Amino acid sequence: MADSGAGPSGDDIINSYHLPRPLPLWLNSNCAKHIVKGNFMTLSARPKTVEQGEWIAHQVVEHYRNLWNFVQVVHAKEETGNTICNPTTCPRMSAGANHSFTWLNSRREPVELPAHEYMTLMQRWITGKIDDTAIFPTDPAGVSYSHNPAISSTPLSQLTNPGEPDWVGKRSGFPEKFIDICQMIFRQMFRVYAHLYWAHFVEPYYHLNLEKQLNSCFSHFLLTATALDMLGKQELEPMQPLIDLWAANGTFPPESKVYEYASIRAGERLIQLAGVTQ
Amino acid sequence: MDSSRLHLNFDNSRPAANDRAFPTTPSTFPQPVFPGPQSGSMQSQQQQQQPYGAGYPQQGYFPQGQYGQQQYPGQAVTSDYPNAAYPPQAGNDPNTGLAHQFSHQNLGGGAARGGQYAARGPSSGRPRTAGGSGQQASYGNYAPPMPSQGAVSSPEFQPIPERNPDKYGTNANSNQKKCSQLAADFFKDSVKRARERNQRQNELEQKLQDPGQSATRREQLWSTAGRKEGQYLRFLRTKDKPENYNTVKIIGKGAFGEVKLVQKKGDGKVYAMKSLIKTEMFKKDQLAHVRSERDILAESDSPWVVKLYTTFQDAYFLYMLMEFLPGGDLMTMLIKYEIFSEDITRFYIAEIVLAIEAVHKLGFIHRDIKPDNILLDRGGHVKLTDFGLSTGFHRLHDNNYYQQLLQGRSNRPRDRTSVAIDQINLTVSNRSQINDWRRSRRLMAYSTVGTPDYIAPEIFTGHGYTFDCDWWSLGTIMFECLVGWPPFCAEDSHDTYRKIVNWRQTLYFPDDITLGAEAENLIRSMVCNTENRLGRGGAHEIKSHAFFRGVDFDSLRRIRAPFEPRLTSNIDTTYFPTDEIDQTDNATLLKAQAIQNRNGQPPEESPEMSLPFIGYTFKRFDNNFR
Repeated sequence: MADSGAGPSGDDIINSYHLPRPLPLWLNSNCAKHIVKGNFMTLSARPKTVEQGEWIAHQVVEHYRNLWNFVQVVHAKEETGNTICNPTTCPRMSAGANHSFTWLNSRREPVELPAHEYMTLMQRWITGKIDDTAIFPTDPAGVSYSHNPAISSTPLSQLTNPGEPDWVGKRSGFPEKFIDICQMIFRQMFRVYAHLYWAHFVEPYYHLNLEKQLNSCFSHFLLTATALDMLGKQELEPMQPLIDLWAANGTFPPESKVYEYASIRAGERLIQLAGVTQ
Repeated sequence: MDSSRLHLNFDNSRPAANDRAFPTTPSTFPQPVFPGPQSGSMQSQQQQQQPYGAGYPQQGYFPQGQYGQQQYPGQAVTSDYPNAAYPPQAGNDPNTGLAHQFSHQNLGGGAARGGQYAARGPSSGRPRTAGGSGQQASYGNYAPPMPSQGAVSSPEFQPIPERNPDKYGTNANSNQKKCSQLAADFFKDSVKRARERNQRQNELEQKLQDPGQSATRREQLWSTAGRKEGQYLRFLRTKDKPENYNTVKIIGKGAFGEVKLVQKKGDGKVYAMKSLIKTEMFKKDQLAHVRSERDILAESDSPWVVKLYTTFQDAYFLYMLMEFLPGGDLMTMLIKYEIFSEDITRFYIAEIVLAIEAVHKLGFIHRDIKPDNILLDRGGHVKLTDFGLSTGFHRLHDNNYYQQLLQGRSNRPRDRTSVAIDQINLTVSNRSQINDWRRSRRLMAYSTVGTPDYIAPEIFTGHGYTFDCDWWSLGTIMFECLVGWPPFCAEDSHDTYRKIVNWRQTLYFPDDITLGAEAENLIRSMVCNTENRLGRGGAHEIKSHAFFRGVDFDSLRRIRAPFEPRLTSNIDTTYFPTDEIDQTDNATLLKAQAIQNRNGQPPEESPEMSLPFIGYTFKRFDNNFR
């Protein structure tokens, strides 16, 4: 890891991100700390007996609840009628100058929306999915379990009728499109986190003493989303430098998938730049 | 540059890379970065084990499970209470540990139970971080102030501003508290769940390794475990609501809400659902009590404490879903039987000793032990309930409230129907008067004021109290079991308060009721000043009293109880005075009204109404699997 031989230097990689200078505060490792320490992977590891679809459903809901606590802070109306995130502060759903996200309108055309409106629409969309028992079934009677070839006498292939399609969560009553929907939800949640970091890390989270909470929830989100293949490397781009930093400072354990997506050199260089010498 | 040194900065436990899917060894569980001071003290308190006095000769108690008037033959059994633990040292000082938290909670900063991660305590007394307004709940409290000079202000980064939470409005600041606490709760709960999950998985794997298990049985073990876990996950992601339950009957009414026997739609499982009106809790200063009740019930797994399955809330109510105990309560039983024989009294008092001991071991002082709060399960055994609520043991920490009561004039008739009751004049021959008193007793139980009959004097004289106040209450209950009325009963609460404070003059054993010398001695040893009170050094002091000679405390819960409820169904409410309880479902009415007032709009939760109840929601794993 400390090998400084071939390949681009940490600076080269950081420069390739085209980050604004001075660098955003959330890349200062003094501000990238957490309210919990230790291996978060224990929290997102699927229990062996639990069916994969059931576990993904659980993680979607948990992370959604977490994220919306933070959104509420920038969405709450004050007596003045103003919200912290509003069309003046955030005319676009942006994650820095290089990224902005569009919403598909009813004619499925991409439109730019103020972040506040975008997030409101997204909240409505996500809760519409999560509360739909045809997508996220809640009946305890329909629960299945994970297939264990070492224990089960029935081979997995015989659990579905030949010729019939199989999909994750099928035996627990999740629909065929379930995984796609969950991936979309995770992608949308990632966009919200990206906007919160790029536009609101200082205003208001740092000022309100919430940045450690935000860091912990987001790093846990990244560990979970990548471990469950809900987010791929290319989708992480707007937050790549923070991922590098967390991989380098030990937030992400080396055996985690998100660690593989990180550039340790860039992360180490960021730590160096912050003047953390210990 | 040696990059490995960088990691020291984060003190991260970095386990060796191994199995990616299930790296769930407890040692790698996330830990709070800055452990709260209370978590340490809690652990030390729990680990504190006090060995009990060596082998007291025991005799079997009710060995055949038959009850009558005669003394029971018993076998000699010795017991040295090997596992008993009791926190008397910590407990004797009301200003330490959990006792302190329990008694002085106010939800300004949330009622701290001092959980490993929960940092709900008020932040006063801690140094503020730069620019902080003292509102930095949760871990922010434990964080050292962010250095704002030196190495930190690197020119490569945006400057670190001075924190200024005051630049935002009140809503943002209450959302800050909410957000901070919910994030902390999330990790705390997740870690707890992951630990418990791993434990269950380990147990399963041990069973699977048993070579004696057939393949079919192994498959069954696996699928059952998987389904249970999956059902719990569904339970976690579903929001419970009162509409998911059908009301069978209202089995209790209190000042702050009601208790209903309900059946879950779908699976038909039976529960007792307590609903508490949020605004009432708020107005009447009950927030700390709500929280402490939820905490103790959520934490306890004791057979002596009523089981709490889940808690949830909507804009108007807090709901507690608890196990339904069909045997009713001791108050109803005392109303029915008037007095108990010494043997039956011995059984109930012995069980209540164990129940109080269990509560104390959890670090709580109940402070409101009374016959109404002693419930009887299917087998007729005792369970404690009502940890600070519903019968309105309110403003307990507010000594002024009691001082006013003590100084106030008797304004009879007020709390009870006017009956000339003076304990000293009561004899067995004027039972009718007692019966009048009993009728009013139930009304009293449902009032906001609650009955003060069983409260220890130190609680309202304001000189501080500790665990042994529960033993005073036990003494007064024992008196009532044997005599027929509580020792300080009076026509009016004020008189009762005065009598309790002057217990030396007012404690009186009626001449026409003969109590065994040991029974009277035990009562006098508990209904006395705290310095001399039996039980001050732990429950073993009471257990080894001569009155309990022959009682095998360890097996008490397994023997047959003197009264076993006879039930015709799982929703039989025979043992509840349902015909005396107004069956109007006020909760549902109030809610319907409120929604109507808002023209059908769903209620919006104001921050001041939602903040104090954050973290109230609780979901027990074995909820679905009784």
